[in-house]
Amino acid sequence: MTTITKAALAGLATTFCVETASAEQIDVGLLLPFSGVYAALGNDIEAGFRLGLDTFGAETDATFEVIAEDTEVKPPVALAKARKLMLQDNVDVMVGIVSSGVLGAVRDMVDGAGVPLIVANAGNDEATGVDCSPYITRISFSNGQVNRPMGTWLAGQGVEKVYTLAPDYAAGRQMIGGFVETFEAAGGEIVGQEFTPFQQTQDFGPYLAQAKASGADAVYVFYAGGEAISFVKQYDSFGLKGELPLYGSGFLTSPLYVAAEGPAAEGVIAAGHYVPTIDNEANAAFVQAFEAENDRLPSEFAVHGYDAARALIEATATGAADRESLAQALREVSFGGPRGQLSIDPATNNIVQPIHVYETVAGEDGLTQKVLATLPAEADPANGCEMN
Amino acid sequence: MFRHTPLRVAALALLAVAGIGYAFGASYFGLEILTEIAILAILVLALDMVAGFGGMVSLAHGALAGVGAYGYAMLQAQAGVAPPIALLGAIGLTGALAWAIGAVCARSHGIYFIMATLAFGQMAYSYIFETPVFGGDDGLGGISRLDLSVLGLDLMDSRNFALFCLAMVALAYAACAFVLRSGLGRSLSGVHESEQRMRALGLTVWRVKAHVFGLSGMIAGLSGALAAQHIMYVSPGLLSWTVSGEALVVVILGGLGTLVGPLVGAAFFVVLKHEVGAITPYWHLVTGLVLIAVVMSRANGIFGALEAWVGRRRAARQPQPLAKEVPGNA
Amino acid sequence: MTHDAGFWVLQALNALQLSMLLFLLSVGLTVIFGLMHFVNLAHGALYALGAYVAASVAGAWGGFWVGLIVAPIAVAAMGVVLYGGLIRRMRRSGPMAQVLVTFGLIFALLDLTRIIWGDVALASDVPALLEGQVRLLGVDYPAYRLFVIGLGLAVLAVLAFVLGRTQIGAMIRAGVDNDAMAACLGIDVERLFFVVFCVGCALAGLAGAVAAPLLSVTPDMGLQILIPVLIVIVIGGLGSLKGAIAGALIYGVVQTFGAVLAPQLSSVLIYALLALVLVTRPTGLFPAKG
Repeated sequence: MTTITKAALAGLATTFCVETASAEQIDVGLLLPFSGVYAALGNDIEAGFRLGLDTFGAETDATFEVIAEDTEVKPPVALAKARKLMLQDNVDVMVGIVSSGVLGAVRDMVDGAGVPLIVANAGNDEATGVDCSPYITRISFSNGQVNRPMGTWLAGQGVEKVYTLAPDYAAGRQMIGGFVETFEAAGGEIVGQEFTPFQQTQDFGPYLAQAKASGADAVYVFYAGGEAISFVKQYDSFGLKGELPLYGSGFLTSPLYVAAEGPAAEGVIAAGHYVPTIDNEANAAFVQAFEAENDRLPSEFAVHGYDAARALIEATATGAADRESLAQALREVSFGGPRGQLSIDPATNNIVQPIHVYETVAGEDGLTQKVLATLPAEADPANGCEMN
Repeated sequence: MFRHTPLRVAALALLAVAGIGYAFGASYFGLEILTEIAILAILVLALDMVAGFGGMVSLAHGALAGVGAYGYAMLQAQAGVAPPIALLGAIGLTGALAWAIGAVCARSHGIYFIMATLAFGQMAYSYIFETPVFGGDDGLGGISRLDLSVLGLDLMDSRNFALFCLAMVALAYAACAFVLRSGLGRSLSGVHESEQRMRALGLTVWRVKAHVFGLSGMIAGLSGALAAQHIMYVSPGLLSWTVSGEALVVVILGGLGTLVGPLVGAAFFVVLKHEVGAITPYWHLVTGLVLIAVVMSRANGIFGALEAWVGRRRAARQPQPLAKEVPGNA
Repeated sequence: MTHDAGFWVLQALNALQLSMLLFLLSVGLTVIFGLMHFVNLAHGALYALGAYVAASVAGAWGGFWVGLIVAPIAVAAMGVVLYGGLIRRMRRSGPMAQVLVTFGLIFALLDLTRIIWGDVALASDVPALLEGQVRLLGVDYPAYRLFVIGLGLAVLAVLAFVLGRTQIGAMIRAGVDNDAMAACLGIDVERLFFVVFCVGCALAGLAGAVAAPLLSVTPDMGLQILIPVLIVIVIGGLGSLKGAIAGALIYGVVQTFGAVLAPQLSSVLIYALLALVLVTRPTGLFPAKG
């Protein structure tokens, strides 16, 4: 999909002060899945990104031209599209990327060509670890980051024995790994662990029976998308929630899927970097604007897009306008957004953000998220990252 | 048996001219598309060889190409083998695997053959997905292209790489045509028409099938190794059964059992996908409808329809009966 | 880890539940194949359509049960359209062409569901009557899953009766055995094809409606179930009711107990079994014809 939108965002501001130096135009390549299993995520990120440009556009003189390309969640397709954006459209900056596989595919190319990339979802730890690059700035999350604070927190709640479940792929292993590391350090015990075939598991029944038989106090899982919906529903249908509380990574009961999960999601406690009920002014404004535009609550994916736009605007406001200066300026952005205070860790270019522990509860109109605790932001360990 | 009719030669010449001409005229993204067409063309040539001429409709060819890609990636990027040797190694490995699959599946026919090949393809997919050394879902990077600087060619240049891939298509085509015209290819045609008859003639049927399947696998492996070099990255999605399904669609769209047709189909499919994809994210819908329309027209694909039309014209001009081309038992 | 008897009962019920869901889907597909000699690859897409219709109907007009009735009818209606528009005209085109038409249908139906219902998953809840668990053989098992098992067994019983004891069943069996001969005997084979195709579609719709509260209703659910269903009918042998139930049970047991006993192998196991069956019995375990 190639939609070209001229966002003449300096708009009103410049009409009143015409003498300002000719505004720079920044060409932005939006690299997201609009078809395939992650299409819903791509749409949410794009909606958030465009809203972010609209909201904060007046803070910079630069104007933005957005060229959106569909990755289809296929690394070869994504790479071809990334090359097109970099070499043919000559974009100044790229934003997006949902799956870690796609990020892995474009990583060397982006690094070699020196095109700044704002990662707006893909969370694999290596991207801001061993494979880090001064041109890749992550505004979303890293797999370990979301789950690490939860291990300590859960142990602090008096939970001693945990059974973990996740899909059998890199993200699943990293998410669970982050949790296990801090949970064990805090004195907890992992009594059983299973990784289910990724995107091939229809029935979680066999694994649930095992979790039940394991003698654990609680279950900690990472699932996302369709698998999250099936898992939460099936967990509830076995009546396990009462005796074996369900905890998980925030994606498990994301606002994007929670409606489909229905009452089954009630009482699930998860750790995430964003929920629409975070209590701060920036979030209230964001939720209201997003709902007005899209008629649904924003998810963590929408906030990735929104903050990516904000970061880009902040960077251009410093005067950065070409690839090199944008890459540099993006590493130094810091602002208070819907998620709370955000900054970029100069050692890895990963975002530093607070993590919110939330419970899904029944609200006036449908399910809502009750924030139980906000855990302070911690920078990821460098994980072998050496910025050159 | 495979024949080079004047029409096929003309179509080939036209495709070659168009491909090379486009390589010199295209913009950057055009070259990417051309390379994509070339790599897909090699895969569908391999598939047409078994499906069109041997009746072995395979849903393993996508996975075979994926094995070629991973074979190249593992040898070149992980083991540090020189690229040309890694390329040959990947082709050999895929060929060996394909031979084994062909040998095991030789007794199955029709839908059972399709399912058996699907099973082996899925096994390869699951194995690569779940074995950590292959990088799992995240795939493997750091892959280099062949170094042809001795010939003064820098393959990192998109135009050179596109031309290189076109040359590989020509090589793959020549190999397919050679195999199909050889004794083995003639035996395969015989087996396709009647296994019992060939068995009665003393032929070991499974061996013929396995040999051709293995050779076809080598060509699929070449396609995969080129894909790995093109993207310089491999991921398990390359082995997905939907890749095999799409390849099959391309073969049928172009014209099963014509070798030239699948080349036309590859170009048509990739261009259609990109053109429709530029307008709407629902390009699957359009491709699906085009596929239905082509099959409903009862022609043997695009090229098959052209051949039939030319055949009728010629028959109208010269009244004596012509030997009818058998358009593969579709 | 040691497990008590209750654990194994639970897993056996899980296996049975998965088997019954797959049976509902595969029986339609396999009988269509038996009669018409082609594999309707769009069967999975019809199942997804059933799930979407059921979820929408349940959401709009309150009630799972309404959805459970409307979905099979809606999908059967889709079957009528497909039969009249495509399948009937493809009758003489050979199985390969028919497979490809249905392959095109997968693409088209997938995007149609995305256009109509969007990319975000649809909500679908278990009906109030079937909420909670039931105590059975010493274990608490979800009532809804027991319902799925019961429904599968009921459909099996009805089909076994219709195919084995009624006149139309005899006609279908005759058609499967030799359609040309059946036509000579005065059976309206075309009409038989039409009826069986529509019933097969309705069963796919029923399976979708049943699966909706159990799984997630997403556009790719049809594609995800297709391969398991094909494995079921090929292991069982095409065209027979016995094959469909045997294949479904084998699949359910291998998947469920594979996940418990050999989790590292669980995704390869079923493909290895399929390959083994095809190598030793190239036409599956219980093919309709020798």
